[in-house]
Amino acid sequence: MHARYGRILLRFWKNSLIREMSFRGHFIVNVASEILWIVMLLVFIKVIFTKTLDVRGWSEGQYIFLMGTHMLVTSLFEALFFGNCWRVSELIRSGDLDFVLVRPASPQFLLSFERIDFSPLASVPVSIALCVYATRMIDAQIIAAQIALFCMLIVGGVIILYSLLFMFAITSVWLIRQTGIDHLWFYTVSIARYPAEIYRKFAGGALWFGLVFVLPVLMVSNLPANVMVRTFEPFMVVYVMVSGIVLLGVCTVVFRLALRWYRSASS
Amino acid sequence: MRKYFVVFRVALADRLVYRADFFIATFLRFIPIITTILLWRAIYDGSQKVELGNLMYEQMVAYYLFLMISRAFGSMPRLATDIATDIRDGNLRKYLLQPIDYLGYNVSLRVAHKLVYFVMAATPYALVFWLCRRYLPGWPTGSMLLLSVFSLGLSFLIGFMFNSLMGLLGFWFLEVGSFIHVVMVMQYFLSGHMFPLSLLPAGLQSVVTNLPFAYETYYPTLLLLQRLDTGAAMHVISMQMVWVVVLGSAARIAWLRGLKRYAAFGG
Repeated sequence: MHARYGRILLRFWKNSLIREMSFRGHFIVNVASEILWIVMLLVFIKVIFTKTLDVRGWSEGQYIFLMGTHMLVTSLFEALFFGNCWRVSELIRSGDLDFVLVRPASPQFLLSFERIDFSPLASVPVSIALCVYATRMIDAQIIAAQIALFCMLIVGGVIILYSLLFMFAITSVWLIRQTGIDHLWFYTVSIARYPAEIYRKFAGGALWFGLVFVLPVLMVSNLPANVMVRTFEPFMVVYVMVSGIVLLGVCTVVFRLALRWYRSASS
Repeated sequence: MRKYFVVFRVALADRLVYRADFFIATFLRFIPIITTILLWRAIYDGSQKVELGNLMYEQMVAYYLFLMISRAFGSMPRLATDIATDIRDGNLRKYLLQPIDYLGYNVSLRVAHKLVYFVMAATPYALVFWLCRRYLPGWPTGSMLLLSVFSLGLSFLIGFMFNSLMGLLGFWFLEVGSFIHVVMVMQYFLSGHMFPLSLLPAGLQSVVTNLPFAYETYYPTLLLLQRLDTGAAMHVISMQMVWVVVLGSAARIAWLRGLKRYAAFGG
């Protein structure tokens, strides 16, 4: 059973690679604009930290580390799942979901893994370099256990993002709309890339609480960065790992429910 | 002149099709404003200063609000790539055969797009500005308002001319899409969209604030923010005119010389 899914996955990835290789120029431009973007972000951070030494308890090095972590999580998510989530709502709208449903394998698996976008992966080495640069800057002593936990939390973060976005995509069964998943993703990114502490000052901390505990998008990059260069909060680590598993479960339930509602549109 | 009016009317009707979706999208666009407000609160608190880059905290928030307005005038989504595609695919023929000027045609199109945008965006903008009223300066004087509107008009022209010029590079280079993408990323920084240019160190600032990007977005935003006196406003407007003429002539020359090379590929 599992070997079969492994083979399907391998085939999916091969196909994606072949597709990507036919747009090599695209890949190079992505790398170039990604590096340019990072340079601009670094200038912005430098500008901020010429004016202040601390942003709600984050020093310059810690802030840069957060940037690197955020890029790492989001580019992994974009590479693995964003395109797939986007396609789910398209398939529902056009009625082409049928072709997935008739295949003899888990539809959620097929929908979630069919394609990999390789160009966001270009940011992975860049974001790791950013993290290393930041740890040098603050002279952080990092032990192997921290790195292991960091990796685990990155995976957890990707799972949380996947569950939320996939759930959103699948709601297209009930809500037909144009303002799509790319908007949602853009706003998620623009909220989650900052220190979580800045949100405490809004609506008596309600916004912070919501984004940390209810829809834990803030913890996706803040927590791994905390573990590496700031404080280790065992409770939060457990909470985020558990909420990743719970959200994944909820996502699967919602998916099954949605399939029961799905009425193949058009012809 | 009448034919340009017809283009304008058709584009107007075209834009009015997707109304409901537009309202949602416009509202969502303000979500990052909350993050901006909170981030700058944190930076001002950390710095323990009243002014950063000659702006007080409220003015900083207002800067980002007014930026939305000047961007609404100056930004030309997809104009450059549309022109480049017309050239590459041979679609340009269609316009050459008609007694219409291609750039003039595009101006009519864009004016219609902008007009529809302003009319439909007026309500959500008004609501957001009302919610953020404590960050805003009072109403400007009549003459200042007039200067601001005039400056925004010039900002539209600078944006149009610059993007046309980028697109017309398509006469010489087959694939300019990626180049345009990189320029757009840089523009985010150079136009003061990322942060007010007055925060930059003096050397860099004196370069960046003299580029057309600053005249397209940064200065009109300062004008709306009432951070320029009449003399400075007049200087900005005259410099904007200079850039309109420079970029406009460059675009016209590129058009005329490009046409000589143009081979009208495609079926």
